[in-house]
Amino acid sequence: MARTRTTKKLAQRIDLNYFKRPTRWKRAKLWISLLLPAIALIWIGWHFATRDSRVYSSGRLSEPHAVFEAQCAACHVQQAGSFSAGAANSACLACHDGPIHHAEQTKMPNCAECHVEHRGKINLSAASNQSCASCHSDLRANGGSAHYASDIRSFEDGHPQFALLKEGARDPGTIKLNHSLHMKAIRRAPGGPNVQLNCSDCHRSVATWDKTPWAYQDAKYVTAKVSYGYAESYQAMGSSGLTPRAPSSGRELMMPVRFATSCASCHLLTFDKRFDEGVPHDKPEVIHTFLMKKLSDYIAAHPSELHEMQDPARDLTGKPLPPRMRTLTAPQWVQEKVAVAEELLSHKTCAQCHQMTQQALPDTGIARWAPNAPKYMTNSGKQMHLPDPAVLKLVPIPGVAPANTTLRWLPHSKFDHAAHTGFTCTSCHEKARSSTESSDILIPGIATCKTCHAPGPNHAESRCFECHTYHDWSQRKEVKPSFILPALKRGGD
Amino acid sequence: MRLDTTQRQWLMISVAILAVSLGVYVPYALTAPKGPTGGSFLGLLFGIAGFAFMLFAAALGARKRVPTWRIGRAQTWMRGHLWLGFLALPLILFHGGFHFGGTLTRILMWLLIITVASGVFGAALQNYLPGMMTKDVPLETIYGEIAHVRRLLREEADHAMESLCGPLGFTYKSEDAGQRAGGFTAMRALTATTVALRTSAAVSAGASVATAVAAAPEIILLNDEQSAPLRRFYCSELRPYLEQPNRRGSRLRDAGRARNSFTAVRTLIPPSAHPTVADLEDICDEARQLSLQERMHHWLHGWLLVHIPLSLALILLGAVHAVMALRY
Repeated sequence: MARTRTTKKLAQRIDLNYFKRPTRWKRAKLWISLLLPAIALIWIGWHFATRDSRVYSSGRLSEPHAVFEAQCAACHVQQAGSFSAGAANSACLACHDGPIHHAEQTKMPNCAECHVEHRGKINLSAASNQSCASCHSDLRANGGSAHYASDIRSFEDGHPQFALLKEGARDPGTIKLNHSLHMKAIRRAPGGPNVQLNCSDCHRSVATWDKTPWAYQDAKYVTAKVSYGYAESYQAMGSSGLTPRAPSSGRELMMPVRFATSCASCHLLTFDKRFDEGVPHDKPEVIHTFLMKKLSDYIAAHPSELHEMQDPARDLTGKPLPPRMRTLTAPQWVQEKVAVAEELLSHKTCAQCHQMTQQALPDTGIARWAPNAPKYMTNSGKQMHLPDPAVLKLVPIPGVAPANTTLRWLPHSKFDHAAHTGFTCTSCHEKARSSTESSDILIPGIATCKTCHAPGPNHAESRCFECHTYHDWSQRKEVKPSFILPALKRGGD
Repeated sequence: MRLDTTQRQWLMISVAILAVSLGVYVPYALTAPKGPTGGSFLGLLFGIAGFAFMLFAAALGARKRVPTWRIGRAQTWMRGHLWLGFLALPLILFHGGFHFGGTLTRILMWLLIITVASGVFGAALQNYLPGMMTKDVPLETIYGEIAHVRRLLREEADHAMESLCGPLGFTYKSEDAGQRAGGFTAMRALTATTVALRTSAAVSAGASVATAVAAAPEIILLNDEQSAPLRRFYCSELRPYLEQPNRRGSRLRDAGRARNSFTAVRTLIPPSAHPTVADLEDICDEARQLSLQERMHHWLHGWLLVHIPLSLALILLGAVHAVMALRY
């Protein structure tokens, strides 16, 4: 007979008090439930007993502050009678002087509002866009309106076009340069071969200035001392830009182009067929002195040239003219030749690149012995004829307008050419290919930057700190050291 | 607890809470100058809400310990535990701005994640395993009595064998000697040994096991030569299996292979012994079901060994974190 199961039989085999006996699983559950919280309690109690507050940290400190991992009280200062011990500005300022952003700023944020610690190995100076936008999204200034765009939330939201590229903006520099012409194959010198210039033949950073030879330099000009200085060459930097904290690597910005290294090989400064060398690339006064000395020395060595025959020997209709002879004194000869050379230089050679002032110079009538040579205004305001040496002495020396070259185009931001070294120059400065006017500003616009600098993956950093700095580190004050290194390594709060 | 349509209301409430939380968190995370932090107003709000949900979920344990408390229905507590406990995770993630922070907070986050994950795992198991158990373990018994029932089955099998083959030399504890596993053929004529059959009436009356059993006669059907294959099979395979059903290597653990084994044994013994072999096969099958029930029970309740201790540690350390976070 097969086995039969009835409810009664099945019930009979069950001990009715089974629930009073805990099973192995229930016992295990109970013990583990007691043991694990107990371990947790012992662990946290041990940290509390040893006054080790690191365990309560909300995250690892940034690398520069890692030494304070065991020294919470270095930043978390407990106020008297208060349970709270938040990070205090005074603790930050004990080591870092954080110069203010602008004297007119209406809000002075706490250090920790922008520099968020306990986020691991992050760049602590990389403040969030929101930190900047907390003021710049609705910018106000003490004592008047802000000078800047007042509704900027991020680079991609509200950031205006760079101010220097606004409608009608022109390069304030006075050096005349046709970029388009120089970007194509160009004749090197009168009668010389065509050459194709590279951008780096003229534009280099401080750090790369002498790394490779200059293809179009003239050694004489490179080694020559010049008398013109910063004021005659460069535009004042202005005081509105904030000085970044990091020292310059010398690769950030391009140096202004120098005649000696980039132009001299093609743009010769010759002034007289008697001499191969050119005048110095210097102030007109220096050139004048140079010419006087050069021609004085020459005529002293060649006195026969004081007797001159006019050339050409034909008039304008081609009719032969009787030879005209004249004999000059050495000073007369020098004065006249200097005048002719300066006329050449100021009207042609210098004027090709520079804006010349005081253009009332003798024209070629001097060299043609013209009897009715035009009168010229002297410095004393007297109208006189040339080539009277007495007059020549008084002719004003031509002036050259200051180059006014802009050294830093974006004074409110920092830009690093070295970080963009993988790109060709014209991929950003694309207008350089077509620009014919030196007044064209060839700095790329914000749209070019946004090609790469944008939020999200596959893009470069676009947060505010990438280009801007908050603290004006030129206002930095030194702080008094307060930490002793061995003590820092010990824990405790 | 089954996750069925009766939980729709809780689901809707949970989704609504999550949606509102997300709606608050996203603009907060995008606009907060320092990014989302636990110390900000909204961060604290998320933390308080998340911890409150955790406390509510943990209160289920207390509620279960004292079932006589008349604080809401057990089903409501369980559903609240399930859904609000699950919501604690996103709220705490919003609280920390998805940063795990330092040592304590990192431990807390992992405790929470493991607790919630084990809870979700447990809920999923409890959704499917009871149905599977009903289907695959029709002879299910109370988990705590499995070892006891298994011993009774073994003894029942011993008695069945001894009724056929004579004494096999097995000994029993006195208190167990009178019990049967509940399915044996009590009507079969027996000799030589006294097989105890405990009656529920006797047990109810408080009689001892020894006195609560009724004697049943037994007979020996096979001689030594006839019973040799069965004895060999029983002693070398079936009884070891009944003693240690979870030991690896036994072919009786597999239903198909066990069936083949018993079929083979039947061919070696007289037909008159086949009913007893059928009983043995039935006992083997029941023992196998109990093993399956045991395994399913371990799955069904094993996650609690992780879930409960970790949740208690979480509550404890969470309270410490709340106090110390206010300080720093």
